[in-house]
Amino acid sequence: MNNKEILIYARDTLLKAGAQKTKCILTKREKNELNVVSGEISLFRTTFDTNLSLTAIIDDKRGSVSINKLDKENIEATAKQIVEMAISSKPDKANDIAENQPAKEFYGEPVKPDLDKMYTRLVEFVKYAEENHPKTIIRMINFDFTSTHSMFINSNGVDYSITKGIYNFVVVFTSKEGKKTSSFNYVAHVSKDLNTPFSECGNIDKLITESVQQLNAESFQGKFVGDVIVTPECMDNFIGSLTRYLYDYPLITKTSVYKDKLEKQIASNNFNLHSKPVSNDIAEGYFVTGDGYEAQDSTVIENGILKTFLLGLYGANKTGEARAVNQGGSWEIDNGEKSFDEIVKSTKKGIILNRFSGGNPSDNGDFSGVAKNSYYVENGKIQFPITETMISGNLVEMMMNIKEISKERVNSGYHNYPWIKFTGITISGK
Amino acid sequence: MIMKDLNKFEKFFTEYTELRMQENRNIRLTMVNGDMMGNNRSSNSGISARVYKGGSWGFASNADISDEAIIKVIKSATENANFLSSRENLNKADLPKTNAINSKDFSTTKPRKSQKEMIDFLGAIDAYITKEFPKLSSRTIVIANLDMEKKLFTSDGAESYSMIPRTILYVVMTITKNEQPFELYEVYGGLGQFEDTFNQPETLFPKLNEQFNHLKNKSEGVYPQAGMHDCILDADLAGILAHEAIGHTTEGDIVKGGSVAGDYFGDKVASELVTLVDFAHTSLGEQCPVPVYVDDEGTKAEDAVIIKDGILKKFMHNKETALHFGHEVTGNARASGFSDEPLVRMRNTAILPGKSKLEDMITSIEDGYYLMKSSSGQADSTSEFMFGVVMGYEIKNGKLGKAIKDTTISGIAFDMLKTVTMISDDMVWSCSGMCGKKQMIPVGMGGPAIKCQVNIGGK
Repeated sequence: MNNKEILIYARDTLLKAGAQKTKCILTKREKNELNVVSGEISLFRTTFDTNLSLTAIIDDKRGSVSINKLDKENIEATAKQIVEMAISSKPDKANDIAENQPAKEFYGEPVKPDLDKMYTRLVEFVKYAEENHPKTIIRMINFDFTSTHSMFINSNGVDYSITKGIYNFVVVFTSKEGKKTSSFNYVAHVSKDLNTPFSECGNIDKLITESVQQLNAESFQGKFVGDVIVTPECMDNFIGSLTRYLYDYPLITKTSVYKDKLEKQIASNNFNLHSKPVSNDIAEGYFVTGDGYEAQDSTVIENGILKTFLLGLYGANKTGEARAVNQGGSWEIDNGEKSFDEIVKSTKKGIILNRFSGGNPSDNGDFSGVAKNSYYVENGKIQFPITETMISGNLVEMMMNIKEISKERVNSGYHNYPWIKFTGITISGK
Repeated sequence: MIMKDLNKFEKFFTEYTELRMQENRNIRLTMVNGDMMGNNRSSNSGISARVYKGGSWGFASNADISDEAIIKVIKSATENANFLSSRENLNKADLPKTNAINSKDFSTTKPRKSQKEMIDFLGAIDAYITKEFPKLSSRTIVIANLDMEKKLFTSDGAESYSMIPRTILYVVMTITKNEQPFELYEVYGGLGQFEDTFNQPETLFPKLNEQFNHLKNKSEGVYPQAGMHDCILDADLAGILAHEAIGHTTEGDIVKGGSVAGDYFGDKVASELVTLVDFAHTSLGEQCPVPVYVDDEGTKAEDAVIIKDGILKKFMHNKETALHFGHEVTGNARASGFSDEPLVRMRNTAILPGKSKLEDMITSIEDGYYLMKSSSGQADSTSEFMFGVVMGYEIKNGKLGKAIKDTTISGIAFDMLKTVTMISDDMVWSCSGMCGKKQMIPVGMGGPAIKCQVNIGGK
């Protein structure tokens, strides 16, 4: 059976076994990966993964199983198991599948890797690091090209096919001089081509240069309330925490701090957040949501006003709110007017936060964690790299206290973020 | 069940080769406020080969486990190793030879429970919570099971079979006070399939009462005072300290990558009260939460005594890092899924118990904190660590005081361990540890309570 035939067979077997509604997704993924460990290209990996995810709903009760063996016998046994699981479950009227939409095929180039160029770019980066940053150890690089072919059908007639591929590059590094060790740092970059050397992508060169400076990081005594300039590489910590409140679980359980904030101010006026899964602006996106809807780009926060939650079909049915047109991610924040240098100049006392080591905020938005690879700023000047420094604040208040947003942005392929200065954060040394 | 004989593929090996067949099976049932939000199972299986040539590795995998597909996977991994080797010319020595033979199966021998019986178990827990704790604004109960079944054959002659299951019950309670939600989660269960891990729901009720009382206290709690304090880290935090802050810095590949531990080998890095071990499968006569008898390179898994009486004595190794440092292999090479290559990973990492009583430790502190439960942890190549703390109490004049709100602790582990002055005489393993170093994999973490000085975040 070809992929489509497998999927149709799975759907029909489920319906024959007693399912009233079904959702079936077949994903085949090929990954070609090169690994660097301690500066040496040490592993070449080729993997083929398959996943068939099947869901059945019977009398508003749901069961799901995913398998990677696609023979008829296994599909039939799995269909029987899912139906038994659904029957064993509890009815919930929020369980549903996407309604019919026009069938569509999506195609995101490239779908095949240029393996020679992958190897050349990697060798080039290892050489660049050795020659330009001899005190820095490239602890690890994972560099892969992943091509994915997915098909999505359901018993309402949804029929989508998606073929796409992408290059993923992650580098982790530490600097070392005698017995001095810097905090490790990392950068991730995804792209649809290999036209640019990795050393020229985003802030990679800047961050490795800073890693060497951080061999001489200093701690300071006491604590103060000041400004925190969050870098584009660190921004996703906070955007991830902010948007976490907008998904199904916290809204269903009513634990989200933003549960009553739709169309209300949740951030400073100058803050605009977009989710762009289908735009060419962001390399890593998606065409279809997990529920089986064609994804659309959206503005989640506009001039500080919350415009949409990020509810899936179940969450929307459960809460009575609208289903989101995408499932978030592929974030872009509008740039501001001042340059990064001007933002630093206008800072009286604070830090530049390059990496944040902390867990998720509490339900009420309180957070604390360690400022990593970061710099102390005083009287408009970057003073020295810092160590053993904690920051704490409240995310809800922090979003309302945005002072400045930079005009420069860094597009990692996952997201496109500027530098943002937040005020009123507690910064404490030893 | 993996039944395939892998030895017959030996004739296709041309270099050092590991051939591993693996199936990971998951069950995940999620009940939120009485509704079944998730009712899922999954199964992911396949074959992988990893080939070593002069310092270069080739890896390939496929979900198809037919003889033809296995031969293709071996050939593809060999070609990948040849490709890299011909370009990189690392010319490294042969890997240490190990050929452990073992078979260990932790499958239940009891009749298997149906999905309905497990859902009914969740329902009974939910009914008890609803009845006993009506003030809760939300409750979530999750059963998560992972059966990890592996079969390994290597060109060195190692042969291993293992089936290591783990079943966890998560209970999340939320209480709302002054329009502010406060949450506390607790985890129950551990090694074994559902039938061997959970019996009657009633056995959990006393623990649920305890969890609710802590949550109630937390909702009336105070912010801790930021800064350095005398603290008692209970077993949960001592375990995460052992894993994150010390364990990761002493993994062979991380040491090779510049970790500060490389500079401290043989040095005093902790109070002489501290002995820290990465146990393979058995600790102090008890089965560990994540037992490993043979690692995924075919090495017999041995305990790695990392810190002995305060001295840094050992790193954890796979074959490659052992070769690099000239150390003995420790059996720490582990892979998460069939399509993952083995990495240097911890197994069951813990600080060993001391001689003090927890009550005496609390009495000995005039102004500090008793920190009981962590939410997350991260550490650095410098051994600087950060742990989220979601449950704890003030200690005032030797007595427990008010509960504290969520906070974070941090410090430099190799400095902090020198401040340890008391270690309790008990030992508790965390049953739900997952480590995310490239691949997510179950780990055990544990320990006694330790008294030390640590930097605490707060207002």
